[in-house]
Amino acid sequence: MNNRLNIKFLGIELNNPLMTASGCFGYGLEYKDYFNPNELGAAVLKGITMEPRNGNAGTRIAETPSGMLNSVGLENPGIEEFKKIIPSIKKELNIPLVANINGKILEEYIEIAKEVEQIDEIEMVELNISCPNVKDGGMAFGANPEMARLVTREVRKVLSKPIIVKLSPNVTNIVEIAKIVEEEGADGVALINTLLGMAIDIRRKKPILGNIMGGLSGPAVKPVALRMIYQVSQAISIPVLGMGGIASTEDAIEFMMVGASAISLGTGLFSNPILPLEIKKGLEKYCLENNIDNISEIVGAAHPDGGKAYRNRLGGK
Amino acid sequence: MFLEDVKVIENIQIADNYYLMKVEGEKMPLHSKPGQFFMLQCKDASRVLRRPISLHNVDGNILEFYYESLGKGTEEFTRLSTGETMNIQGPLGNGYDTDLSGKNIVVIGGGMGMAPIKYLIKDLKDNNDITFIAGGRNANAVKIIEKFDFENIKLKVATDDGSIGVKGNTVDVLKEILENEDKKIDIIYTCGPHPMMEAVAKVAQENNIRCQVSLEERMACGIKACVGCSILTKKGMKKVCYDGPVFESTDIVDVDVVDPNGGCNHE
Repeated sequence: MNNRLNIKFLGIELNNPLMTASGCFGYGLEYKDYFNPNELGAAVLKGITMEPRNGNAGTRIAETPSGMLNSVGLENPGIEEFKKIIPSIKKELNIPLVANINGKILEEYIEIAKEVEQIDEIEMVELNISCPNVKDGGMAFGANPEMARLVTREVRKVLSKPIIVKLSPNVTNIVEIAKIVEEEGADGVALINTLLGMAIDIRRKKPILGNIMGGLSGPAVKPVALRMIYQVSQAISIPVLGMGGIASTEDAIEFMMVGASAISLGTGLFSNPILPLEIKKGLEKYCLENNIDNISEIVGAAHPDGGKAYRNRLGGK
Repeated sequence: MFLEDVKVIENIQIADNYYLMKVEGEKMPLHSKPGQFFMLQCKDASRVLRRPISLHNVDGNILEFYYESLGKGTEEFTRLSTGETMNIQGPLGNGYDTDLSGKNIVVIGGGMGMAPIKYLIKDLKDNNDITFIAGGRNANAVKIIEKFDFENIKLKVATDDGSIGVKGNTVDVLKEILENEDKKIDIIYTCGPHPMMEAVAKVAQENNIRCQVSLEERMACGIKACVGCSILTKKGMKKVCYDGPVFESTDIVDVDVVDPNGGCNHE
């Protein structure tokens, strides 16, 4: 039964295509009171930097219609502490762990990539060049095609583990950037990161977020995510990790049909902490009812050619 | 740390925008401690975040929530009728330290800060001497205390407009107690508007009295997965949802009277 959901993603066998969105799932164990995290395909852990970061001051969360803004600003304990906690996390999780790495400058990306290369428990790396909440680095790399090229190239040189480059939707042409990171050796792309947005407290006549702007996530961004994955997957030959407002089985299927090989759950976990279990069951039922032997058959199904060309290009990647 | 569909058995307006909701649960009431909170799910799916609501009281298998209708989510809660179900998550966070006996305790609640106080007093009053200072803008803001059990505790009420109790604020009442009563206060518990808690913490610190404060932050996950409610404390970054919401006042940077400029120097 379960093998209908088994997939190969960047050469790694996953129980199913369900992953978590970095920054929404802590360091892998926070949700274990609600569901067994080993039910996931893989866990993408909260973003890390070389040095510990306190993140942004003031209010970091604002709910918006069908979505939310966050301006956490990459608060994290730093790579040294990360290395200390990873073995105990791996003891409880037998699914692949994905580290999300960040830097302010190119050298920092290279440095942290070298560190993560040495951590046996980490099987894949999400290279975050799209965080909208840090002043330097972050999105600056993802928004500039040549910076995206450079950081991917340099990180590739020091990392043998599969690299997923997380792309920013806050760009004019996301297809161009996806093609560039593919050229530079990315094994996959993750999209979309959050959309830069704002909310105002009319009583205080001020932005709600302490950092003024923040990243929009949740069902509100889903149509944008679908459109971008649809465009990107038709232009590249590497897998897409799709995310952006997935809150139901139907949403998950839509993401796969526009071209995502695997999907990440983020904001949807907050209101429904057992969402991964529901979607997993829903996808199994969907496969059964539609005579689908393996869920990967629907990747790109909404492309003009039904996804044949893209699935051929992926060739089981 | 459970998810449970609980049944609303009462949901009434106390005064103005203040409401009291009672729900019936199974696992949760057994595990809930004073000062903890729950994440209440909205029915309208366009509200993607649960609302963190402080635990007001536990009575058998019934949980009580005293809440203010402030935005669209809490406004939705006011429309829940008896018999309807609601999905709640909890109990969450670190509550007040109530493992005490034989102590002289002052409990200070201000306005909506009355939310965790009922259960706190209930938990403490059999083994300790309690003085409860209730404060608010006006009589409506403290009306909820009519439903508290005050047997064996001293009650003092202060309102800004003097519509009930003395005209003034809770901090003045606390100072008066310190001046006029010989018996040393062992611990102060407080919940209320930030400036009030800050002033209470300052008085506590000046008099070498332990003080626990209950903080409030916007939250997304409620279980330290999103890091949305982090605050800078003297012990580093702490999550209000997990390390709090109750903290020792001396751990909180912005109520530190020794270093008044030590506020949130986030990166």
